[in-house]
Amino acid sequence: MGFLADIAQAVEKYNHGVEQQVKQVRGDAELGKQILAKWRQARAAVKTTRTPTGLELPRVALPNIDEPGEIARYLGEEGLPGEFPYLSSAYREMYLERDHHEGNGNSKAEEPMRLFAGLGLAEDTNKRFHYLTKHQKSVRLSTAFDGPTLYGLDSDDDGLLGKVGEGGVAIDTVDDMKRLYDGFDITADTSSVSMTINGPAPTILAMYVAAAKHRFGDGCVPKLRGTIQADVLKEVQAQNECLFGVEPSLRFLGDMVEYVTEKMPRFYPVSISGYHIAEAGSTPVQQAAYTLSNGFVYVDLWKHRGMNVDKFGPRLSFFFDSGLDIEYMALARVSRKIWAIGMRDCFAAGPKAQLFKLHTQTSGRSLIAAEFKNNLTRTAVELMLAYLNATNSCHSNSADEPFTTPGEEYVTLAAHAQNIILEESGLFKHMMNPLAGSPGMKAVERAVEAAILAEFREIDRLGGVLSAVEQRYQRAQIQQAAHRLETQIYDGTRPIIGLNRYASTNGHAEMDLVRTARQKQLFQVKRLKAWKKKHGKLAGRKLDELSGVVDKGGNVFAKLIDCVEHCSLGQITHRLREVVGPFRPVV
Amino acid sequence: MPKDESILRVLTAVPICDGHDSAINTINLEFIRNGIEVIYLGYHRSVRDIVRAAVQEDVRAVGISSYNGGHNEFFSQVARELHKEVGGEITVFGGGGGTITHDDERIMRRAGVDKIFFAGTPLEAIVRYVKQLRAPARGSRKRTAADSRGGKRSDRALSMALRNAKSVKVATRASAPTIGITGPGGAGKTTLIDELVLRFLQRHPTSRIAILSHDPSIASHGALLGDRATMIHSQDDRVFMRSLATRGRAGGLSPQTEPMLAAMKQMGFDLIILETVGTGQEAMPFAGGLVDTSLFVMSPEYGSKLQLQKIAMLDIADLVVVNKGDLAGAPRAAAEVTERLTMNHKNQKVYTTQAKQHRNVGVDRLYDTVLGSIRQGEPPRLQVTRKTRTSAK
Repeated sequence: MGFLADIAQAVEKYNHGVEQQVKQVRGDAELGKQILAKWRQARAAVKTTRTPTGLELPRVALPNIDEPGEIARYLGEEGLPGEFPYLSSAYREMYLERDHHEGNGNSKAEEPMRLFAGLGLAEDTNKRFHYLTKHQKSVRLSTAFDGPTLYGLDSDDDGLLGKVGEGGVAIDTVDDMKRLYDGFDITADTSSVSMTINGPAPTILAMYVAAAKHRFGDGCVPKLRGTIQADVLKEVQAQNECLFGVEPSLRFLGDMVEYVTEKMPRFYPVSISGYHIAEAGSTPVQQAAYTLSNGFVYVDLWKHRGMNVDKFGPRLSFFFDSGLDIEYMALARVSRKIWAIGMRDCFAAGPKAQLFKLHTQTSGRSLIAAEFKNNLTRTAVELMLAYLNATNSCHSNSADEPFTTPGEEYVTLAAHAQNIILEESGLFKHMMNPLAGSPGMKAVERAVEAAILAEFREIDRLGGVLSAVEQRYQRAQIQQAAHRLETQIYDGTRPIIGLNRYASTNGHAEMDLVRTARQKQLFQVKRLKAWKKKHGKLAGRKLDELSGVVDKGGNVFAKLIDCVEHCSLGQITHRLREVVGPFRPVV
Repeated sequence: MPKDESILRVLTAVPICDGHDSAINTINLEFIRNGIEVIYLGYHRSVRDIVRAAVQEDVRAVGISSYNGGHNEFFSQVARELHKEVGGEITVFGGGGGTITHDDERIMRRAGVDKIFFAGTPLEAIVRYVKQLRAPARGSRKRTAADSRGGKRSDRALSMALRNAKSVKVATRASAPTIGITGPGGAGKTTLIDELVLRFLQRHPTSRIAILSHDPSIASHGALLGDRATMIHSQDDRVFMRSLATRGRAGGLSPQTEPMLAAMKQMGFDLIILETVGTGQEAMPFAGGLVDTSLFVMSPEYGSKLQLQKIAMLDIADLVVVNKGDLAGAPRAAAEVTERLTMNHKNQKVYTTQAKQHRNVGVDRLYDTVLGSIRQGEPPRLQVTRKTRTSAK
């Protein structure tokens, strides 16, 4: 039996333990008294708040119970916000407005909003970043890369010209990276930069570090804050942006995580992602089960590498899709619980490494081109579900995304949807737990948890995640789910408003599209060629040194930071592929 | 089973720098359920890969599913390149959800793309469109610019010759050496072949290889022929690959195998590799001198030692490969297989490989044994054949 089956068992043991405790406190008057005292204390500690209409409410909603068994069940099953098993939330107060009357100790008041952007050349995206952050207190830059960059290729590679700057920003060199974040103080406490890239993540992060050193000096490295996705396992399962075989990919990732853990204390070196699994058409349960199991594999690998789980564990973060299926009421809630129990009971991790810290993005797959303004409503509902799940940060999609890189109008609307929910509406800013513990929420939680644990056992039966990947289990499951979903849409059992129900007969509205102009693409190629010429002499030597480090088993990431000074992304990818072999797709 | 000529073959792929394969996977499934044979090239594929595969596989149409942008250039280039190779014989269609506008469609149609499906198109409409494309008439051909350039050995010329291949007789003169590779599904045959091809291409800078690969047809007569997606090194101008569906024939091959192989043997290739579908214990697919060397590829996970006795190919294969050498049971498996073969007294050899590993030494050793004797500029011959094995004994 592998560790996934162990984790499934640990969760069930935990649930059973809660029931045991319920019996115990009911049977033992002394224990009953103790838990009652603890409960009264917790309730008394809850401060009250006053809404603009004058209504007085507790800042944390807790059930009105005074029977020891019920209290034990509540504390065990739900826990208080920010306490084990973290069902309600990873932190105590999440999105609550700061209380004006008192300094509030532990509360984390950070804007959860992230806006994903990337288009054209580095300068264009830089301009978009400045536009997006114009009214924001803190600088939160979330970066999308174009196809060639995502596949570790250069803009001047054969047959790629039409792809340059499409769907994201084109980054070939460390100089492009400098242009991308120009004008932002990325070493400031309030800055955070995230990069959505996986296969070439080590090279791209190396460019980020090298570019920061150019601008702020060598001492800036520990101050860099942000997240890089770098989740290679979900690439093999769903997103298909792998550059090398699974084994070398995991090694390069491990090297990067090790370096970041030691030298960049404010950076999250991997964002374990279910988003792309869900976008490929999986069910919500598959999304959570595959993501969690991938996460546990990383933990297991890095423990075996000799890394300390309490050091790297707190640097792991997660990324979920939020769609319209009812599972999304509780998907992240249940995932937080399973992660916490698995980390504590199967990997002996301390409290900080038990936290499932989550970024959510609303579903891109749920948006459609037909009568696309309905997408505003879809995204708003998905945002509500994400916030009901106490996501730590969130990105809302633009309504025009089914057909283009978002234009400014819809980007603004998407951002404002979050402001309306969190700031304008009273639902999340006065009180934690608005719907927690409701019969519906609990029913979904139980069903989702059981289904995730069943998936864990199935993967375990196949020999664990990596073995299941080789047998293409996850891919086959996702493809089947996707086919079912499409069939349900076409036969109408899944209503999609404006498509298979209440569709208007007006035909297609043609929209303004954001596309990258040919002369920009040509300019990037020209600029890259000149850069390569300038660095030509040293590039070859640096690549040979890189090969040496790969062969001798040294830390590849540390070497990459040096290499990117003279080598382009494509040159590095090409060399690494020669040494460790290319990725062989399973379809 | 419908007549061979009436079965539609289409090639599907996702463009370079694009990994969005959810839509094409769904469409592929729908195609094969409707009796269409799909050669699936996979995602992140170049124009050249798509065009080469379409010509070699002699498909009726090419379907491309795009999501990452740049479709105007990509689709148009595929259509133009295909036109250069085969005139209008291969139809190009595709889609990209909402990312493709009606203006884009006009641009692509001008370049020769026949049809764009927009967001919200029902799957059945795509199937209907493909089914109304008539299969190319047997024997028909138009000369194209590419024909005159490549002459008799152009992919197009070879493809046409295969279309007309009927005879199963092989003239012995200048017949290309042929390796037959078989074994149970999931043993890693396809990956192993691709690794052998990579080594062959590296060591023989001008030689050409042909691959005849097989995948099963399903009950509705459709088939998903997906070997090309995995065989990354074999997508090369010096490799001519043809994927065949079993079309109701049992035992690992297709009704078309013999005539096609006979024709291929006369086409001047330096090596031919024949791969069967995943076979059962009783299968002996290479009867009647079909191949010069037979290779049986298995994984260490065959169950008990008793199971080995039941595998018919172990009695007759020239070489046996225990792949997945990284699995814990591999050394034991190799020992048991060796013991089993010793009882045959046929001088059969056993190799342990780990085909999925880059530069695997086991694959190197296998390569040297089987193909090491092929020299550039000399009449090609294989090192281990039924004949050499018998004479060694």
